[in-house]
Parts: sequence; structure tokens; C-alpha cells
Amino acid sequence: MKQFYAHLIEIESIVVELDKMNLSDAQKLHLTSLIDSSLHHTILDAVLSQLEDSDKKVFLNHLREDDHGKIWQLLNEKIDNIEDKIKKTADNLIKEMHKDMKKAKEK
Amino acid sequence: MTVPNPIALPIPQTIHAKDDILVGFDENAVLAKKLQEDLPEEVRPLNSAEEANLLKTLSSNFGFEVTTVIEGIKLNRNFGIIGGEQHLYRYPRDNLYAHAENTVDWAKYGSAGIAPGLGAWGYFSPSKQEFTDIDKMREKYYLAIQTFLAPGFAENVAKYRDFFKYRKMLVINPKTGQAVVAVVGDAGPAEWTGKHLGGSPEVMDILGLAGGPRKGPVLYFFIDDPDDKIPLGPVKVRSES
Repeated sequence: MKQFYAHLIEIESIVVELDKMNLSDAQKLHLTSLIDSSLHHTILDAVLSQLEDSDKKVFLNHLREDDHGKIWQLLNEKIDNIEDKIKKTADNLIKEMHKDMKKAKEK
Repeated sequence: MTVPNPIALPIPQTIHAKDDILVGFDENAVLAKKLQEDLPEEVRPLNSAEEANLLKTLSSNFGFEVTTVIEGIKLNRNFGIIGGEQHLYRYPRDNLYAHAENTVDWAKYGSAGIAPGLGAWGYFSPSKQEFTDIDKMREKYYLAIQTFLAPGFAENVAKYRDFFKYRKMLVINPKTGQAVVAVVGDAGPAEWTGKHLGGSPEVMDILGLAGGPRKGPVLYFFIDDPDDKIPLGPVKVRSES
């Protein structure tokens, strides 16, 4: 499922690193589910923290309906430079993930 | 995150049950039962009566027109063994990692690898800059079809090549009813393989054939969709039929 922020995040570097790890298919699926979930919830938290309560409900409704057009219309209207904020949030988390993978490989 | 369902393009057909008792029931399983009754045990080309019966069943179940013939062109068969294919290069300097929308995509479909050569129609886009969501969906849900075995191919190569390029098809696993709308994105497999068509890693996953030997019997028909309204991706039965 394509998320509304998919065009802003760069997961290729994570995938390249995962590919270098000796993981079973089940481990790959489990670990990647955690990674995608972490990214998703971190980005949602970053967005929700910038919205008023009434707008949060509207946003969550658009999210439930998976209507990217309405999501972006709302976010661009309510939050300055929202794309930059999401990108920065995702980049920071991906950097942390790289650190964690490096540590895991060193063990 | 685990089921390919990109926005704005392939929104799967939803189940619309007439009766509350059917809400949440997997209607594709009901279709599978009917297909099992109607299909021969042996995987072989269907006769015209069998084809007509199946076309009627499938068109009414899915709510769009499926057919064996468009513009006078038909395939050598519509019931055969599908095998798992690799990803295809979508534009120059594409790579396997870039195919994943998320990391789960990579975990599920990355191991299929990427074919060293291009598909029968070359790249899906001339460059990364010109690569669109439509191109992405076409590679994601592509079929390799034995276009070269279609009756009349040898006498009309150019016409058939153009006809088959990204031709939309419905593929169904008759054992489970799992179904996908996909496009013809490559020619193959060779006759000696014993397989009759190929499916992208995502297509095989939707059909429930991604595990084990990565092959199995399927039905495959053209979709008559001149206005390009039927989205690519998984498709479910409508119960209003």
C-alpha cells in the first residue's frame, strides 16, 4: 500500500543494508514490518502534533479513506512546509535505523 | 503495508453483498467452487462451450467484460500453468531495491530478483524522470504471455506486437478464486518450460502462488476495457451478479 508520504522518504538505503544482513525470510518480513510501522507512526506523530484537534479528526478521516489528494490539500493548508517537516522526520529516523543496523551487525 | 494497493490507481473492487449474512464472506471462495465444478481436471486448452460458460461466469462475478477475442486476436489458450517471473527493469539504470514501495515490499518480493534482459517491449519508461505511476503499476502487475503462439502471430507480427503491449487481462487461480488484473508486459515463457504464462512477483503473491514451486493452474482472459477504467491489482467478486 502506497502511503501519502511515499514520495518524500528514501528507503532504498535501508533496503540495501538489510540485504547485506543474513536474515531468514521470516526474519526479513518481521523486521521490515517493524521498520515500516515505525516510519509510519513517527510520520503520523509529526503531522498530528502540528494540527489542531478538529483538523486531526479530518486528517484521520482522509487517512482512513486513503485519499491522498485530500490529505495533502489539508496539510498544505494547515502546516507550513509540511513536506520538509515529514522529510526531515523520516530522514532522522532512517539515520537512527542505520545506526541500529550497524550495531546489530557488529554483535 | 503488506498488500500492494497503491493509491489513485488500483483500488480493489470491494465485495458488495446483497444480504447481511454474506457480509465479510469471501465470495472469491464461492467463485472458486464454481470454477472447480466447471473446469476440466486436466490443464488443457478449453473448448468453445467451456470458454463461453466461463466468460459469462467471470464477467458477471467481477462486473466487467472478459473475453477471449479482441480485434479478432485470441491467445493459444486461456487455461494454463503460470510460473513466477522476476522483476523487470523499468527505466535505464533502474535497480531491484528501487522497486520496493516500503521495506516489507522488499522482504516479500525482493528475493525474486530482476531479469537481466528487458521485457519484450523494452523499458516501461525511457528515463527515471519520465517514469510515472502508470509505468510503475504496469511492471508491478505484469504478465509474460506466449504472444508468439497466438494464432496469426507469424503473419502479423507488428500488429500483434502493438495489440499485446500492456493489454489488460484478468488472471484467476481457480482453486482459490484469488484474482488479479494485470497487463501483458513481456513475451514468454518458452514452450519447453511446460509453463504457459508468467507472472510478476506481485501477481504470483496475489494469486496465492508465490510460495513453494511458484507455479500453478490459472485462467486468463482479456478484459474489454477501451476506456482504461479497470484498475490494475487484486480484484474481488461482486455479489450482485
